[in-house]
Amino acid sequence: MNVLEIAGLTKRFGTKTVIDHMDLSIPPHSVFGFIGQNGAGKTTTMKMITGLLKPDGGTIRVCGEKVTFGSNKTSRWIGYLPDVPEFYGYMTAAQYLALCGEITGMERENLREASGRLLELVGLADSRGCIRHFSRGMKQRLGIAQALLNGPRLLICDEPTSALDPVGRKEILDILASVKDQTTVLFSTHVLSDVERICDHAALLSGGRIAVQGTLEELKTRRNKESNRSARAEHSLRRPYEKIVAKETLQIEFQTEKDLQQFRVRYPSGEAVDRTTIRLPGDAYEDMSSILSDLAQNHVPVRKLELLEPTLEDLFLEVTAQ
Amino acid sequence: MKQWNVMLRKELSEQIKTHRAFLVLILFCLVGVISPALTKLMPWMFEFMAEDLAGSGISVGDIHVDALTAWTQYFKNMQLALIAFLILYSQTLTGEFQRGTLIILLAKGLRRWTVLLSKLAAALLFWTAGCAAGFLINYAYTAYFWDNRAAEHLFFSAFCFYLLGAWLISLIFPASVFFQSVTAALIGVCAGFLASYLLGLLPAVREYVPSFLMDTPPLLTGAASSSEYLPCAAVTLGLILLNTAVSLAGFRKAAV
Repeated sequence: MNVLEIAGLTKRFGTKTVIDHMDLSIPPHSVFGFIGQNGAGKTTTMKMITGLLKPDGGTIRVCGEKVTFGSNKTSRWIGYLPDVPEFYGYMTAAQYLALCGEITGMERENLREASGRLLELVGLADSRGCIRHFSRGMKQRLGIAQALLNGPRLLICDEPTSALDPVGRKEILDILASVKDQTTVLFSTHVLSDVERICDHAALLSGGRIAVQGTLEELKTRRNKESNRSARAEHSLRRPYEKIVAKETLQIEFQTEKDLQQFRVRYPSGEAVDRTTIRLPGDAYEDMSSILSDLAQNHVPVRKLELLEPTLEDLFLEVTAQ
Repeated sequence: MKQWNVMLRKELSEQIKTHRAFLVLILFCLVGVISPALTKLMPWMFEFMAEDLAGSGISVGDIHVDALTAWTQYFKNMQLALIAFLILYSQTLTGEFQRGTLIILLAKGLRRWTVLLSKLAAALLFWTAGCAAGFLINYAYTAYFWDNRAAEHLFFSAFCFYLLGAWLISLIFPASVFFQSVTAALIGVCAGFLASYLLGLLPAVREYVPSFLMDTPPLLTGAASSSEYLPCAAVTLGLILLNTAVSLAGFRKAAV
């Protein structure tokens, strides 16, 4: 049985339909990436799954039980980490977990054991100070600890890595990957690399619907010839042409502004990124040999020639266009 | 019921840890101390200013103060304390909405009514404690300086004012639930009081609106009996329950 089953979910805010007959299912013990642009409706969907927001149509089932707005029937299956988790600043991490545990009716002994274990897991076992002094990363880690406190079957994390530095991001992703055996993880993000790093399943949300859903391999196959590797010029040259990516963009960083200006006379379609960098639209691989010839003929040294990976927006546009 | 206990304990400890309890206590103790002190100093102050006032053509006779003067002063000062208390507690629920601190707890299955009722209970508890502290301090000082028997219906007058405060506190919640902003909560309280005050200008309903409970001087002088205030007290109690019911119904459907 799937941990989460969503069928025909619809949510409107005024006249705007944010979620439009969405269907989604999440198999147990998967790490499920829920990808979408800002404002795509990821948070709205998650709030409806947790029963915090009332859907206008459709059904949500968690572990086979129907979610009802305002009811706490399905809460026991779910652990939820909001996009910006907010806590009571005057409490310590342990006090906050105690509050959460008491609310869910955990036994005192269980609560003490789980609280200690989870604070250890998220690296907050030694933090004795009040939460108001916590960094953003520490708050995210405490958020994961509280979400895992009552052993949920479904852990929902809303953009847990956004606005974190690389170290903080790695810590959160490592924690999420490590709890896969205990629970099913649904986490939303607009960072594709995070999904590729820890997810085994993913779904792309676009226009209020799931544009594509499946295992990561299936999604990559669907993206057929796409490859989102970025490489320095010398590496790119070794790449076989059959791996050409239509959406990749060629970016050149010149040594001087003058070089860029002269190059731009020959390639007027180039868009200047800064004083010495230019981005060339069109098919990067097809253009590459002529550009390299041009640079060589004119004896123009470049600091960097780079194939930029497609942004998530590019992928979205491509997937939804299909 | 367990969730209710947990949330009430959380609310009470929050008042202490955020120093709100301390502020409330200081505020009401000050009222209890200042009211008799000002009354005691009043004759001396007038005597001190007599020469200046005489120069302006105003003659000051003998100023007589007693326990009645002190209690009248006390209830005037309590109005200011009530305003400060309402400002202090206006963000008790809206603060949670604005910070988003309820999201995690509600997603854990916390029943919504426990959130609202624990907050109301905590606010009323500290209002009760504050009123009791102010009253007892004022009572002790007034008894020390004068004779409290000069003022009639002391306890009932204090109860009337307490009930008025409880009604205004209960008004914070519907406004907070429906508009989710601290400004709206304060405007809601002001609008409620203004409506009561304006209705009170109509002789037919004057004795049934909550603001009538503020009219304590006739009680203190003995010009009015406590039974005249009972219908108004009953209406106020009913309005407190109504405010609570409306808040609960609104909060059940509110998006957080």
